[in-house]
Amino acid sequence: MGAIDIINVTKSFGDTPVLKNINLNIKDGEFLILVGPSGCGKSTLMNTVAGLEDVTSGQINIAGRDVTNLSPKNRDIAMVFQSYALYPTMDVRRNISFGLEMRKVPKKERNQTVDRIADLLQISHLLDRKPSQLSGGQRQRVAMGRALARSPKVFLLDEPLSNLDAKLRVEMRMEIKKMHKRLGTTIIYVTHDQIEAMTLADRIAVLSEGIVQQFGTPYEIYNDPANRFVADFMGSPAMNFIECDIEDGRLIVETDGQDYKFEVPDRDVLQKSGLKRVVLGLRPEMITEAKPDQKRQFTQEISMLVEETEPMGADTMVTGLWNSTEIQGRVSPEAGHAAKLNDKHTLLHVDTSKAVFFHLETGERVR
Amino acid sequence: MSHTFANGFNAGRAFIYATLVFFALLYISPLYIILTTSFKDIEEIRSGNLLALPDEPTLYAWIKAWGSACTGSDCNGLAPFFWNSIRIVIPAVLISTIIGALNGYVLAQWRFRGSDMLFGALLFGCFIPFQVILLPMSILLGKMGLANTISGLVMVHVIYGIAFTTLFFRNYYVAIPSDLTKAAKLDGAGFFSIFTNVFLPMSTPIFVVTIIWQFTQIWNDFLFGVVYSGSGTQPITVALNNLVNTSVGGKEYNVDMAAAVIAALPTLLVYVVAGKYFVKGLTAGAVKG
Repeated sequence: MGAIDIINVTKSFGDTPVLKNINLNIKDGEFLILVGPSGCGKSTLMNTVAGLEDVTSGQINIAGRDVTNLSPKNRDIAMVFQSYALYPTMDVRRNISFGLEMRKVPKKERNQTVDRIADLLQISHLLDRKPSQLSGGQRQRVAMGRALARSPKVFLLDEPLSNLDAKLRVEMRMEIKKMHKRLGTTIIYVTHDQIEAMTLADRIAVLSEGIVQQFGTPYEIYNDPANRFVADFMGSPAMNFIECDIEDGRLIVETDGQDYKFEVPDRDVLQKSGLKRVVLGLRPEMITEAKPDQKRQFTQEISMLVEETEPMGADTMVTGLWNSTEIQGRVSPEAGHAAKLNDKHTLLHVDTSKAVFFHLETGERVR
Repeated sequence: MSHTFANGFNAGRAFIYATLVFFALLYISPLYIILTTSFKDIEEIRSGNLLALPDEPTLYAWIKAWGSACTGSDCNGLAPFFWNSIRIVIPAVLISTIIGALNGYVLAQWRFRGSDMLFGALLFGCFIPFQVILLPMSILLGKMGLANTISGLVMVHVIYGIAFTTLFFRNYYVAIPSDLTKAAKLDGAGFFSIFTNVFLPMSTPIFVVTIIWQFTQIWNDFLFGVVYSGSGTQPITVALNNLVNTSVGGKEYNVDMAAAVIAALPTLLVYVVAGKYFVKGLTAGAVKG
């Protein structure tokens, strides 16, 4: 019903290419997140799907129908804007029903729809207010309501939560996820917040410089990043990147005056690649406090000079130097506290079973 | 500066207020003299004090200025010319304002290649002196068969006003986030329904500003009026000039003064009625969603 195919889409503003040959297939009912740093082209891509911007070349299909040259109103989509873009002179009721009014839906039916949606979003008591009389969270709900009113094939959400405070953002995030479960409508959701991306998406497309760097499930994106950019962008605190020499398929890491040889599952890959040096990518949660009974394959106990500790509540981040590069590990608060007292030389447990490797120059994965 | 009075005033502040009051009086004194003179009879003007209030206030000068004073060879007062001005001003203001609103809406919300250049070129129209276009415009009006007609004057004022009205509306609408237009497009609204449903309802302040501006400009215009009108289509400013310059017997200052006030009254009225919007509209650019 609401599948979207984005085929070879290119977009340039004058001589500046913004989207370079984008190919994405979004299944019916899928929750797709477009994520990337600002200026990566994610909003432009969404606007081309909405029909608010023309594509320079390529094709966009919605529900199997070529909509590339259709105007926005004929694409059967609804959009929620970052600024909400509520009509300031209309009350909430008319804001929600305006799309139906423009589509010549009879008044009685319009009112029924508005009442149903207001009920759903718990904004029934606000129907007679003007947008200026609403709080940020309420405006957000009205903007959602306006999108829901027409029951479109596809929802486009352009950073819908970025103007809300942190607590409300988490709440609304949950509500959007529930709503998607209930309605089952295809959603494209633009954000620069990688946590939003991880928590909401069925699949994530990571964009940078107008190119889809990776398109996959949150699990794939997080654990099997296509390149250094994706690995760096997704995850907070960010993945550690350490340049290492390779010796016999093992990685040499120097820290606290001692050399360690890390065993990794991809030993033969490293050997076959013929590379002498590589960038090791290791998430902070793979570097934890040492526990005596944790010894397994692909783990290593090391001593690190902890230069800085950052308590985050549930965990404490510890910073040290590996091969003269700053890295962060994630330890329990107790271990973090001990590291501070204990002359700062701390025993850590390093799990390299999920380590990934990147080429020094290109940043592509070594596979 | 340390001479603080018990009620919080000090000498510096008192000086400021005194100066303000002095200049306020200075500025209002011509109006005072015009009004008092217009209610005096001619004898009292000749003999009395310029600043004195009228001894026996009379409407004689007003009635004469309105109905029977001579402007050149006619002696029907200002009344016919007042209606001429009304017939010029109302269509000219409405047409130029509506065109300006649409222009501004397009230039701010429906950008196209070269729209900023076009806006720049339109702005240039604000700086063209009236005198430059007198001759070419009169040729054009003659060729169109509109010479010496009310419609001709309306056209001249509309064309001349578009630069200003477009500027006002464009600058007002450019502050409105383009997301609103996008949202309305997605809601299925077209060019005109977005204008009427979304933009017009939030345009009251800028409409008031534009209407006041255009009304004042066109009502007070003398040059176009004197050049492009015929004997029966002169606006009130031209008639006032004729009235003051026509002397049958002695100069009737009281009639001249009454005529001047009659000619100025509509613009005064517009300011009084809509003045608060004028300031609001000029200062408040942004409409918050």
